[in-house]
Amino acid sequence: MTTVANEESTVATFGHLSDEQVQDVLAKPLDQRDDIIVCRDVYKWYGDFCVINDVSIEVKRGEVMVIFGPSGSGKSTFIKMINRLEDHQRGDIFVDGIEMTNDIRNLNLIRREVGMVFQQFNLFPHLTVLGNITLAPRRVRHLPRSEAEDRARELLERVGIPEQAEKYPAELSGGQQQRVAIARALAMEPRIMLFDEPTSALDPEMIKEVLDVMRELADTGMTMLCVTHEMGFAREVADRMAMFDEGSLVEVAAPAQMFEEPEEERTKAFLRQIL
Amino acid sequence: MPEPPRATVGVMGWLHQNLFKSWVDGTVTVVVAAVVLWSAYTLVVWIFGAADFTAVYSRFKLYFVGQYPVDELWRPQLSLLGISALAGMAWRRWRDSNRVGVTFAAGLVLITVVIALLPLQMGLLNRMMLLLNPVAVAGGYFAMVIPRVGADRLFAYSMIGVVVVSLFIIPGATWIPGLEAIDAQAIGGLMLNLWLAVIGIAGALPFGILLALGRRSRLPFVKMLCVAYIELIRGVPLITLLFMSRHILPLAFPGQFSINELYLGAITITLFSSAYVAEIVRGGMAAVPNGQTEAARALGLSTWQTTLTITLPQALRNIIPPMVSQFISLFKDTSLVFIIGMLDIIEMGKVTIQGNLEFTEHGREVYLFIGLVFWVLTYGMSWVSRIIERALGVGQR
Repeated sequence: MTTVANEESTVATFGHLSDEQVQDVLAKPLDQRDDIIVCRDVYKWYGDFCVINDVSIEVKRGEVMVIFGPSGSGKSTFIKMINRLEDHQRGDIFVDGIEMTNDIRNLNLIRREVGMVFQQFNLFPHLTVLGNITLAPRRVRHLPRSEAEDRARELLERVGIPEQAEKYPAELSGGQQQRVAIARALAMEPRIMLFDEPTSALDPEMIKEVLDVMRELADTGMTMLCVTHEMGFAREVADRMAMFDEGSLVEVAAPAQMFEEPEEERTKAFLRQIL
Repeated sequence: MPEPPRATVGVMGWLHQNLFKSWVDGTVTVVVAAVVLWSAYTLVVWIFGAADFTAVYSRFKLYFVGQYPVDELWRPQLSLLGISALAGMAWRRWRDSNRVGVTFAAGLVLITVVIALLPLQMGLLNRMMLLLNPVAVAGGYFAMVIPRVGADRLFAYSMIGVVVVSLFIIPGATWIPGLEAIDAQAIGGLMLNLWLAVIGIAGALPFGILLALGRRSRLPFVKMLCVAYIELIRGVPLITLLFMSRHILPLAFPGQFSINELYLGAITITLFSSAYVAEIVRGGMAAVPNGQTEAARALGLSTWQTTLTITLPQALRNIIPPMVSQFISLFKDTSLVFIIGMLDIIEMGKVTIQGNLEFTEHGREVYLFIGLVFWVLTYGMSWVSRIIERALGVGQR
């Protein structure tokens, strides 16, 4: 496992909470923490086609939730609703107490609190690694350049590639690009991180380096929603797992239960195929 | 480990591989080579035999600066010195990466010095000012050594400065002391083509970008207005627009409506080109992957910030080739201002041939010369664009 500076974890985690408060939260069992994400009876349609069908779920502070299911089941659409890259058409979504509406101020508040990592990395090809990471802190948080760059270098240190700061994305391997993308999201000090199949576009050799970074991040107490089919990662890191199919939430359970004795036939059938 | 196989062996190998690989290849090669060589031979024989270039060199001033008053020639000369200084600056700035600056500087020095030394009728002052161009090149070169200002910033500001100064100094205006207004018809020759092209490009680029952004706008009224403008302008030939600007606008606004033809031409060309630039920019923006916008929005950037820092820079980098094509075509289109009574280099050639009995037989020489001037300038533009593309790594990152 790569060593990522765990003792200096001020950059990630809950942003507004002190380290002690974070430890207090993490010390509590899941059912005694407060909900950072609440979804109630959420629906979304593309035309007549229902992509999200009556989803209700709560995510606890500091929880790592793995979302899985067949392709086209609405997993990606669902996590993009958490930072409103996709809107919902019925029901309510609250993120850290803020309701998801079309109100532009709410939208900007939410997006500062929620970081996102994409399957295709989506790094900005015309900016260097440093430029990618410092763009949002400078433009949105109005940090001075030098400060933003110092923090970007710290983050690159954390994801294990401090030497790549001056390069352009196209000069990096897929695994390195995805680690830059994680650093870019962390630079905004989010309270929640969304991962949309972060390892699906990677060669097998590079999957591990990205999962290691995600594992370290989970250890710092970050709330994480990960769409992934890396079941080893899910078993080891996830607090709970959620199975989606045809836009519906089929089952939510802790990994042990999900892998050993899932309740739904659909879950059993799907897990049998991928395990 | 074995050596990789050699693709071709020497000159004969190359010839065989590329020109004579099959019977068809060989026949095509021989026929095309024969036609090309024969044309080149007759052209050279004509140039050094029957051709008479008196109509070109005895009217040098007309082709380059039209009927611009001789006493005021220091004004375009000053513009030219500014351009030489820019070439010198570009030489120093990109000394180690490409030859654009040094080529331009060398070309300008060569042309100005040769013209200054030709036995043409021109005042001592004009001769001296032409000979100052090498000095301006050197001045620009060494100005870039000044460490205090950033080199890129200095170059950009100087370029804007030269464009703005040229915009005013050549036509002059009654409200600028020392720069009396020059009659529009007296501004002609290649100077007119270049002036219109520079103003047209400097105006059409920002205006075209604004139109493209407007066409992508979510506000229906703005979008509709931009679509209407673009489609209307693209549906009408430039020649018609120029004609309308000169003969129809005064009908619509009777009375005090009188605008200098020079500005009329510049405005019409700018408005015309910006519609095409807008569509090129829009295409470039549509080609930026959706994931880029998603990533920017997810980081909390506003719609405007996303456009200005993510979409537009990537779009502009990808559209250099079509944009340069557009600007080359703009440059060539500047000769259409003859429609509103301006005498550009081509019109000047026509006037020279038709107005002098001794030149009526020598139109070919005049048009060969004018064609060469256009080719050198447009080829220069596409050459620079290729180097910019390479420097920005288009297609590589």
